[in-house]
Amino acid sequence: MSEIHGAVGSYVVNALDRDEREEFEAHLAVCPTCTREVQEFCETAAELSLLASEAPPPAALRSSILSAISEVRPLPPELLPSEAPAEIAPAEPSPAAAKTAPGERPIDELALRRQQRRTRILSVLVAAVMAAALALGGVVYGLVQARQSQVAQQAAETELLTAPDVKTYTATMKDGGQVSFVVSRSLNRAMFVGKDLPAVGADRAYQLWTLEGKAAIPDNTVPGGGDRKEFFREPLSGVTGLAVSVEAAGGAQQPNPSTIQVITKLAA
Amino acid sequence: MNVSRVPPDSEGLPSGSAARLGASSGRETDAAHLRELMTLCSRGHEEAFAELYDRTSQRIYGIILRVLRSPDHAAEVMQEVYVEVWRQSARYSQDKGSVIAWMTTMAHRRAVDRVRSVSSEVARDERYAFHGGDREIDQVWDGVEQRLDVERVRRGMASLTPIQREALTLAYFGGYTQSQVAQLLKLPLGTVKTRIRDGLIGLRDALGVEA
Repeated sequence: MSEIHGAVGSYVVNALDRDEREEFEAHLAVCPTCTREVQEFCETAAELSLLASEAPPPAALRSSILSAISEVRPLPPELLPSEAPAEIAPAEPSPAAAKTAPGERPIDELALRRQQRRTRILSVLVAAVMAAALALGGVVYGLVQARQSQVAQQAAETELLTAPDVKTYTATMKDGGQVSFVVSRSLNRAMFVGKDLPAVGADRAYQLWTLEGKAAIPDNTVPGGGDRKEFFREPLSGVTGLAVSVEAAGGAQQPNPSTIQVITKLAA
Repeated sequence: MNVSRVPPDSEGLPSGSAARLGASSGRETDAAHLRELMTLCSRGHEEAFAELYDRTSQRIYGIILRVLRSPDHAAEVMQEVYVEVWRQSARYSQDKGSVIAWMTTMAHRRAVDRVRSVSSEVARDERYAFHGGDREIDQVWDGVEQRLDVERVRRGMASLTPIQREALTLAYFGGYTQSQVAQLLKLPLGTVKTRIRDGLIGLRDALGVEA
């Protein structure tokens, strides 16, 4: 059994730290075995919670909660991916789900599982975005929230963040800024997210690189200072790593070992 | 002690509330009833939500308070969780598991997130790291109501190896990360990870929880 599968128990009892949780959720989105085990363990953990029960909650809490929900509208049902991209129309129950009585095997189990996985990815995404928001001081969360502007960029970012195989690599640069690479092999794209990037002066910039074995290919540049995000120009096929260096504002053709800030090796 | 007695409703909760959930004989019926309540909630029925609250709140509050230990924090997290259950009621589906597991998972996750986000609680973690986790384990075992279902889970826990039980208890009830559990038990992280998973497998099998 691979290392990551072994974390399934710790995941269910919330014993993973933020990075471990993110990593596991990315795995969960593509692993039906772990997904099934998570679900079973959640039932087990719910039973385990019986041992904690000591006293009923304060009565005042009940009225407070009941009055709170009277001001909240329940969300509409989730749309199935095949039906529409937006959260506007009310969803019809899926034919597959409707036909599946409890304990009965769906006819096309694979299709159903795939469908369930899509639905689950939404919740995984929400969790991943929340975790990323904590990790990056809201940069990634901000990306998702800022719907009014940069609609095209937004769509690309959302697509990347919702990709089933999205992975986030986080590293601290030599200069101290925190950077993340959000990577999807299936979309063939990667995005650079910088948090509190140190200023590098007007005549210099952060240069992104894609690495293919020993070759480094110059990519987009990003100004220093503050929070920045930038898609990599190069598609990811053949890319084995991503790097950031500080270069003259126009960018460089060859990286210089002394200017490299971060090198991250990507999973295949 | 009379094992089948329902705890008195000293707080004025409707009779039966949480205890009904636990009764072994009616577990399936209860699960189906909770699903019906969720469906009604998704259509905006507040009375159904009130009943859902009455049937689940003791259990949900129990786990939140156990992890957080502060009634103030627990009340806040309770409110968050139940508002979220109401909001998400249309998004719950049987595919995701039972209603109670769905709610417990959400409650536990939020309680643990709260523990880790509150700095004084982090300090508490470190204190425990040096003074050992025995107290944590004792608290869970002491004063637990001897209801049939609790008894069943307790027997399930007793069937685990001591290390599995301790690792699972510290993680689930203590809200510790697996690394902190490793430190508390003075075991390698990989071992703790395996023990937590094996503990859940053992408990699952002992309880005969179906997928």
